Amino acid sequence: MRLLLIEDELDIQSFLRCSLEEAGYKVDVAADGKTAERIAVEGYFDVLVVDLGLPDQDGISLILRLRQLGVKAPVLILSARRSVDDRVRGLEQGGDDYLTKPFALAELLARLRNLIRRNNVPANEATRLRVLDLELDLLRREAIRGGEMLQLTPQEFVLLEYLCRNAGRVVTRSMILDQVWGMRIQPDTNVVDVHIYRLRGKVDGKGLQPLIRTLRGVGYVLKDR
Amino acid sequence: MSSRTGKPGMRSAAWRISLWATLAFACGTMLVFVFLHRFVANDIQRRSDAWLSGEVEVLGDVAQRTPKDALYDRVVGEVAELAGREVPDKIQSENTSNDSVFFLQRGTDGSMKLWVGPGNGEANLQAIRTASIPTGRPMDLEVSGHRTPFRVASIRMSDGSSIYLGLSERDERRVLKNLRLRFFLLWVALVLLGFGIVFFTTRRMLSHVRKITDAASRIGSSDLNTRVPTTLRNDEVAQLALTLNHMLDRIENSMRQLHTITDSLAHDLRSPVTAIRGKLESSLSAASEGEQAEAIVSAIDELDRLTDFLNKSLDVAEAKADALRLNRTAIDMDDLLRVMVDLYEPSMSEKGLHVNYSGNGPVRIVADAALVHRMIANLFDNELKHVPAGCHIEIGLQAEGETAMLRFEDNGPGFAPEIRPHIFERRVKGRGSNGHGLGLAFVEAVVRAHGGVISASNHDGDKGARIDISFPLASNEYVASSPVAASGAN
Repeated sequence: MRLLLIEDELDIQSFLRCSLEEAGYKVDVAADGKTAERIAVEGYFDVLVVDLGLPDQDGISLILRLRQLGVKAPVLILSARRSVDDRVRGLEQGGDDYLTKPFALAELLARLRNLIRRNNVPANEATRLRVLDLELDLLRREAIRGGEMLQLTPQEFVLLEYLCRNAGRVVTRSMILDQVWGMRIQPDTNVVDVHIYRLRGKVDGKGLQPLIRTLRGVGYVLKDR
Repeated sequence: MSSRTGKPGMRSAAWRISLWATLAFACGTMLVFVFLHRFVANDIQRRSDAWLSGEVEVLGDVAQRTPKDALYDRVVGEVAELAGREVPDKIQSENTSNDSVFFLQRGTDGSMKLWVGPGNGEANLQAIRTASIPTGRPMDLEVSGHRTPFRVASIRMSDGSSIYLGLSERDERRVLKNLRLRFFLLWVALVLLGFGIVFFTTRRMLSHVRKITDAASRIGSSDLNTRVPTTLRNDEVAQLALTLNHMLDRIENSMRQLHTITDSLAHDLRSPVTAIRGKLESSLSAASEGEQAEAIVSAIDELDRLTDFLNKSLDVAEAKADALRLNRTAIDMDDLLRVMVDLYEPSMSEKGLHVNYSGNGPVRIVADAALVHRMIANLFDNELKHVPAGCHIEIGLQAEGETAMLRFEDNGPGFAPEIRPHIFERRVKGRGSNGHGLGLAFVEAVVRAHGGVISASNHDGDKGARIDISFPLASNEYVASSPVAASGAN
């Protein structure tokens, strides 16, 4: 996967580059709009990460210009601004995504995956999800582990479904809040932890291998091996 | 803010101005007429008096010279009748006999010697007897049987008899009555015309003022780039519009300055935080379990708290300056609260709190979804952090008239009396609270920015806290024209 990172702050640029390469992306870097334009037109990229505050031009103008030049790759917008601009909303509706700084790396990776998947294969509408011995029937809203039906509330099922869809990958609390409850909020209480704790009590029964792991300071992961 | 400026009707300034102007105009013209009327009436009086005095002298002369024989009555009578035909201001009446003039000669014994006029003159003689008319100066005489008085002049003859010449004031009065009637009609027409002109000109002028008011009230903090309408005329109203627009320019400018400051502050703080957080995360994945990992985890937590604090303080600062930028969409509060209760219920029951939400049906407001979400989350966090185990939390939502009423109630210890008056100020927090004291200040800021009202109180006997929030409801057109922001899952 080729990725073009357009970010002028060297600190952020270097750690993003390392983390993204670690995650398996082949990363090209541009520190200003002009360079970005040149690199983006010359090569093919699967996804672009664009910081809005570039030294020579506005990030959104750059994105619009790249679109004019025929660059079709989806864009993940990084913004340190406080309010989400209407133009960002426009891009979001056009299939791009945005993330406000500071962000968790796991969330950045998840959003990048979503963007690439959305752009390439049409979302595969499976009706069943299977992770190890856990099986979800998405139509009947039932979860079965080791042959036994789990007694889940509808909300717990949605949460488990989200974990299963991201099995093997880290999901952060804010990603869970965004995807399961549809809210970009930052509660200063442990609301998400309690949900996970309850879900874990039902999914990881006695004598079973624990599937839901907590990564302290980062989030949760549903083990897939 | 929604201004209700419907039809102004009877209470409008245009109406009042024209009413007072018309009143002044009507009084003025009426006064002019009263003077005019008096002048005309006096003039008519003077003319008829002059005629009477002249005629009575002539008649006296004729009577003096005419020998008192059998023809006396006839000669004097003819002269008197001829004189009666030259009455001033005479209106030709239907019947040919002249009934507006009488001639009477009274003998020394008070009996009637000669009478020329309508009827037998007994009533006139009776009236003259009681009135005693001085020689030379004509005066009014009421005669029974006649509706209008007579103006009577007299002259004393050398033989002791008196000659009276009377002229009915009927014609004079008719002239004046005609004058009054015509003037009154003219006056009414003039007053109505004046009222109409004043009303329509002031209304036209004030309608422009009203347009300015409407436009100005529509300019909220969110759309400071619109301006009130201006005209090409250079009158006071146009000046008002220009001044308002200049003021709006200045407000917009300072607002932009404030946004620039908060934005660059946010940007300058977030960028290093992003870098630090990223590096911490990288080193966390490298570090194995143990003390080092623990330290990194807590550093990340602190950074997230710092970011949250930064966001909230900037939001609160902007809201206090009425400069919060809103991305309004229609939100169903009922839906949102159900999702929030669902999110918070496990944490609350874990802590031994009972939460109950009662709402009846959708309650739509037009608001910034992200801010409202964070505001409601803050209220729940607040309950979760400050209400002790075993307490009940009641959340109520209902639409009342044109407002959505949201209520958070608990039976915990309530707000401490020393902080209650300042509960919505920044950095005010209860004893034992380990927050940064921005939660309720943020809630208040969001409510205010959306034109809502918030109040905090304790129940009777200070048992339990209660927060009431009211938001203006979304108007029907708005709900129909915009999609409801999805607040549910996926």
